[in-house]
Amino acid sequence: MSTTTPPRERPRRAAGRASTTTARTHAASGTSGASGAGGRTTGARHNQRWLAWIFLAPTILGMGLFTLVPIVASVVLAFFRWDIISAPTFVGFDNFSEVVQDPTVRVSFLNTIVFVVVAVALQLGLALALAVMVQEKMPAWLRVFFRSAFFFPLILSAASVSIFMRYLFNEQFGVVNWFLSLVGIPAVPWLTTPGGSAAVVILVYVWQNFGFSFLLFIGGLASIPVETYEAAAIDGATAAIDGATGWRKHLHVTLPLLSPTTLVASVMAIISALQVFDQPYVLTRGGPGDSTRTAVMVIFESAFQRLEFGQASAIGVLLTLIIMAITAAQFRLSKRFVFYQ
Amino acid sequence: MTGAIDGHLRDITRRTALGALGTGIIGATVASWPRLSGTDIPGRGDNSLSIAIMGTAADAAARQRAIDTFTRLHPEIRVKVQAIQAVDWKDFFTKILTMVAAGTPPDVVYVATEGAQLFAEKLAHPLDEYIRRDAADMREFFDDVHPSLVEAFMYKGSLYQLPMDWNAANMYYNTAAFAQAGLDRPADDWTHIDFRNSLAAMRKARTSDFTPYYWTNRLFGGVVPWLYANDTSFLKETRSAGGDWLWDGFYANDPSRSLRSGGYQWLEPNANDDRVFESFDYLRGLVKDGLGVRPEEGGGSSLVGLFASNRIGTTPAGGYWVQGLHEAGMGANDFDVQFFPRWKTQRHQFGTAGYAIMKTAKDKDAAWEWIKFSSSREAMALIFPSPITTPARRSMVNEQLYAGKGPAHWKVFYDTLDRFPTTGPIPAPPQQAAVETALMKNVSLAVSGDEQQLKQALASMQRDLELALRRQS
Repeated sequence: MSTTTPPRERPRRAAGRASTTTARTHAASGTSGASGAGGRTTGARHNQRWLAWIFLAPTILGMGLFTLVPIVASVVLAFFRWDIISAPTFVGFDNFSEVVQDPTVRVSFLNTIVFVVVAVALQLGLALALAVMVQEKMPAWLRVFFRSAFFFPLILSAASVSIFMRYLFNEQFGVVNWFLSLVGIPAVPWLTTPGGSAAVVILVYVWQNFGFSFLLFIGGLASIPVETYEAAAIDGATAAIDGATGWRKHLHVTLPLLSPTTLVASVMAIISALQVFDQPYVLTRGGPGDSTRTAVMVIFESAFQRLEFGQASAIGVLLTLIIMAITAAQFRLSKRFVFYQ
Repeated sequence: MTGAIDGHLRDITRRTALGALGTGIIGATVASWPRLSGTDIPGRGDNSLSIAIMGTAADAAARQRAIDTFTRLHPEIRVKVQAIQAVDWKDFFTKILTMVAAGTPPDVVYVATEGAQLFAEKLAHPLDEYIRRDAADMREFFDDVHPSLVEAFMYKGSLYQLPMDWNAANMYYNTAAFAQAGLDRPADDWTHIDFRNSLAAMRKARTSDFTPYYWTNRLFGGVVPWLYANDTSFLKETRSAGGDWLWDGFYANDPSRSLRSGGYQWLEPNANDDRVFESFDYLRGLVKDGLGVRPEEGGGSSLVGLFASNRIGTTPAGGYWVQGLHEAGMGANDFDVQFFPRWKTQRHQFGTAGYAIMKTAKDKDAAWEWIKFSSSREAMALIFPSPITTPARRSMVNEQLYAGKGPAHWKVFYDTLDRFPTTGPIPAPPQQAAVETALMKNVSLAVSGDEQQLKQALASMQRDLELALRRQS
């Protein structure tokens, strides 16, 4: 792998050099920062700093109001019992101990983990395979078409898609079973058995979300220099790389060079999958039994159906901690598996 | 900038562009200030009586004629109806509670049985004082409304709502499917065995692309009607004391007077009852033999189309289905309705709805005037001009309402109460949302596997219900 400075660090160094140069110029001209040309520069910088804050203000305000405040509020609320109507009562860690003992919460977290493992693996696998195919084998116009087509499900409302899929996978009257009946396969109870409903939820989720990972991989593939493949061939790896199927080329060159993209794609896919709600809620309402009940669904049910906002916040805090732990673990592991050019 | 760009455009500096953008943002903010500040919410910022109903803007508009009539009678009271879209009643109550939390509660809310006790326990103001005060005006209403509907809105001896519309879980059947299977109209006292035989005959007549019995997994029309028919329920049903002031005052001569109480109570789970097992086992048998579907969770919105296209033989539903089937193209004689099959009893399940005054209402007297007006025959005729539901007034469930739409035996709707006065409301304690979740999540498993799976599902339901009732108690 290349030992040159990662491209993302270059601008910072350049900026550093520029400011050093400016400082030297000031020193040479004998001006202080308080007067003359230097004064104007400092004044301009001062103004620019204010301008920067003005431009940043809406984002900072938005982040504070809609992200930080709710986070802090939900952490605080996790220590209270509150049903919206009555005044909140401080209960210490009771909410945490109750949700940890609640079998439905435990099952929902387990479901979520299983969902993340299966859905993310499918999502990334499918996205990568299709990205390689589209990037390598397609003429440019078809490439544009597939990029749009694969991304399209992502812009649809998850609830609308799920309502539509409910009809498609209906056991008696669904199109999916009708197609299966044409080849002699009896009707599958997709949404009314634990296995079937979990499969449909994963399928719908992956179909709707793989487009994002696909685009990331397309970008990652485009950034791999052709010279790398040529260099590998010159190094005598032609025989190994240009095998009968060509998959070794991807194994030895594409995958390692795509590892930064894979890290980003996997982090985003895992965080998104850990928060899955719309698809299982609309498709199965978490059933049958608890088979498709996810962590976020339990938060929703606790808060907005049972009016246990304290418990919902406690579950939310636990889920956040899990997401943070997984993401931290991913970045830690990335030091061993991610290669930068 | 390229040479292709117009010279005037080149004159626009970054500062000008930013200034224009800033002005635009400020202008848009000012223009949309009523929306941003929420002052455009009906009834907010003035003294209007704010009434929340479940439905669309079209549903709110449909009430306009009633509002106009009310305004003529009470020019001093301004009324604004706020239609709140929701998937089901549970969703609607959630949105109302969110409005309460946001500090913008409506004054009056249209509440169904599912939420009656939740509102009575925490949010609603009892109507007792008003009914006593206006007893002379109210007598005509109670004479026309079955006491079972009124009792469903009693809670701990007080009345919180007046029933406006209601629906029992009756059994709809497709007359063409029955005829194809050589079946006549079922008898009024048909049993669950007769029902099963009818399903088997329909299945034999049409082996594919047809479902003899379609049902959904929910509180109304799901497993509960079967439990009621078998003289049981998944919650132990008891009654609270009180309410004599109402029954003695308005229903003293009613044959079912002795049955009335201060309201229903559901305090303990009952999923481990033998008859609950028996009822679930019966449904499991229907699923196993291909006579009934495994129930999906959710509403029955897709059902109308499927029933109207003759792909469903029977399904439980209320009078609210008639208009839908008519609009889906079914003729008056293409479908009919019968009482729910008898088992140990022929007790039915029903749900009703009416207006509740919120404790936080700005002007409770005005709210009561609206409720009193809405319960009049004139107002109900304006609000329910077609069979979109069953009006609570017996006199309005008549030939005229069902003319040209069917079903032939529309009398079944109100006779469900008159002939079976023990017919009871949806089991909905104040913890209804948690109770419904506990029921629904276990029903599919209970009826979709073997006997062992059924036992496990019922044990799980018992545990979930215990937890649901213990919480918030």
